Parts: sequence; structure tokens; C-alpha cells
Amino acid sequence: MGLVGTRKGLFLLRGDDGRHHWRAEGPLLDGWAVYHATVDARDGTIYAAANHAVYGPTVQRSADGGKTWQRSRQLSVPESSGLTVIAAWHIEPGLPQEPETLYLGADPGILFRSDDHGKTWEPNLGILRHPTRDHWISGAGGMCCDSIQLDPRDPQRMYVCVTSAGTLRTDDGGQTWLPVNKNVAADYLATPYGEIGQCVHKLLMHPARPDRLWQQNHCGVYRSDDGGDSWERLDGNGLPSGFGFPIMIDPKDPDTAFVIPERSMEYHYSPNAEFAVYRTRDSGQSWERVSDGLPSPAWAVVLREASASDADSVYFGTQSGSFFAFADGAWIEAVRHLPPILSVEVTQWFR
Amino acid sequence: MVQVIVPSILAAQAEGRERFEVEADTVGDALRALPIADLIFNERGEWNKYLNVYVDETDARERGGPACPLTGAREIRVVAMIAGG
Repeated sequence: MGLVGTRKGLFLLRGDDGRHHWRAEGPLLDGWAVYHATVDARDGTIYAAANHAVYGPTVQRSADGGKTWQRSRQLSVPESSGLTVIAAWHIEPGLPQEPETLYLGADPGILFRSDDHGKTWEPNLGILRHPTRDHWISGAGGMCCDSIQLDPRDPQRMYVCVTSAGTLRTDDGGQTWLPVNKNVAADYLATPYGEIGQCVHKLLMHPARPDRLWQQNHCGVYRSDDGGDSWERLDGNGLPSGFGFPIMIDPKDPDTAFVIPERSMEYHYSPNAEFAVYRTRDSGQSWERVSDGLPSPAWAVVLREASASDADSVYFGTQSGSFFAFADGAWIEAVRHLPPILSVEVTQWFR
Repeated sequence: MVQVIVPSILAAQAEGRERFEVEADTVGDALRALPIADLIFNERGEWNKYLNVYVDETDARERGGPACPLTGAREIRVVAMIAGG
């Protein structure tokens, strides 16, 4: 099952066991821009970060596979912050030992937590009042908070990324947040290696080795093996560009990752019209091109939330409305002509 | 009583209801009584920017916005503003 969030609603894609044939159902939440949707594996509820240019940001949840939806109580932050919620970006279910808890990343650089299955949300004050917030930069896509990673060994530790503040880590359950951006470039700043201001496009923690983090950044691809204390830049090892938005990992192999390079900052499409995924199997020391089945020439754009992986494959969707799955060594264009794809998640777990 | 008519995306968020009958003195009170008030007002209680509200074919913004009186009014129509390309 793929959950594909688009600019005009959510599509559910059902694939066969070989991932060669897929059937699309939708749009659910018709007319809403679904920045991210996910299934909470703890109880099967679908959650969607759904935004509308007229009606604003919402979180929607469905306990019956998308047939009916309930809206969370209106998202808000204290008026004293001087902020208002612009968009809901990413929903991350909590750890198994906190079954009612979920996290929500929002623009402008806000982390919400729910302790009632997503009915209500409270902003994390450590992020909202972070001492460096005055130095955070809102990019062209807003100040999104789109990466939320929970350490399965330690409920006190989690990571969030804000564009453009960088990666922030808490080791005390969200009370305080430490910027962990050492060696990560911010080439658009006068001081490219400062404590704060990095533009993380996507950060993932490897579930089997939680100290290993991968990030696709505005300025390169990086790996950390020490929980973000230091980062090694990897795009010089054979990628055509360090720029890109999504990153995918293999839950079975901490040394494997996939990126989709794009021509650098001002352009945002496949370099030289060569649309390709690049895979590393040696922790980023080398990259191989994986493009069988992808169209060529193509000027593809894949957004930061528009990729996913499971134990068997990797998946992504393009701004031109195509959903690709990797099967038997080649990419299958499983569904095409959807509205622009904003997000992809996959699950085999569904009620 | 005044009848409130909402567009289809709002109706879908209200179990398919496009029309509501409400008792209220002002437009703001009438809209706040709807089950979709959170989609009409932002978190600071202001009308969303790209939403137009007409009271018997008069733009409510020209008559005080949410404070627009409903004396003698029959219908409030909520309309998404034209936008996009």
C-alpha cells in the first residue's frame, strides 16, 4: 500500500506482491494539498497533514482506511510567540511505549505533540522559544519542519530538522534542543559552517543503528555515525550533484541509501536531463546509478517528502504525477498522471 | 434565523452539509457557530484571507466584517476567492 499525498488530495495505491501492478484509489481529502500522510502502525489510523490555500492547515485522521475523516482541533501557538501556523508538514507516530503520542512538524519551524491520538496538539516550547530562532531562515518553501526521528533505544532522544535552522537534537525529551550541524555546509550564508542555519531537506535515522543518520541537504549529502555530533560529506564520491530533496534508506542494511540528485540550487530538476536514482552500498564512499525504467530525457522534480522505503523496495513520486516502485532491478512507473506528488509513504500494514 | 451556505470543500468537512440554519446577531457569530468554524477563521480569530462572505449579496467586509449585523438578513454565502493558475 502506498499513501501518495498530492496537491489535490490523497491517493491510496495498492500494489501486487511483485510491485509491478498498482491500482489507485482517490482522491481522498479531495482538494486538499496533502503534504504528508502516514499509517500509524500501532493502531492502523491514517493521519494526513492537509493544507488548503483558503482554509489553512489541518491534521486529518481516519480510523476506517480513509472512508471517513476527523479533523484535529485547530492548530495554534501562543499569541505571545508572534507566530501563526502556516502549514502542517509531517506526522510522525510516537514510540510503541507511548501509544497515544504523535508528533507534527509545521511551518514556521514548529514541532507539535499530541498525547490523545491526534485530537489535539500542543507546541513544543523548547523549539518555539529556541535561543537561536532569531537566526532561523525561511526558505522559498517556507520554514518547514519536515524531519522528525525518534530514537527507539531512548525516548528522551529525538531529532527534528527545520528549513533553515538545521538539525536539532534533544536528549531530555524535548525540553532543550542542541543544534547538531558540525561540518554541514550552508553555502548561502556568509559563514557557511556556523552552528545554525543549515537547510536540511530530509533526515533519516537507521532503525537498526540509531546513531547512524543520513541527510540530503541543500548543500550536499551527509552521514553521521555519532547521533549528529559530526557529519561526513558524501556527494563528492560520485554524485552528479549534491543538491536534491529526498533520501531513502534500506531498513535491512545501514550502509545503503538512495538519493535523487537535481541540478543545484536555482534550478531544481534532473542534471543534464538525466533522471536517475543513485545508490550507495558502502556508507556513501561510492555511488552507483540506478536508472533502468526511468524516462530519458526527463526534467524530474522529486520533493523532500515524496519518497519512502520498506524492507523490500524503495518508492518515490514526481511533481509530474508519476509514482515509481523499484522491482526486480528496475523502476516501474506504477501510476502516472496524478496531480503533483508531495509525499509518499508505504505500508504493508493496513486494517 | 439565517441560512448559511458553504462551498463544497467545507461541506465535505461537515459531513456533506452545504446549508446551515443559525440564530445569530452578527456574521461572525453565525460563522463561529458552524462545525467548520476552524476552517473559516484562523487561530487568531480572523477570517481566512482568501475567503469572501456575502450577506444577501453584500460583501460583509464592507459592513464591518465579522461585526456585520444580520438584522433582517436571510442568507450568508461563504465563497472561496478566485486564485491560482
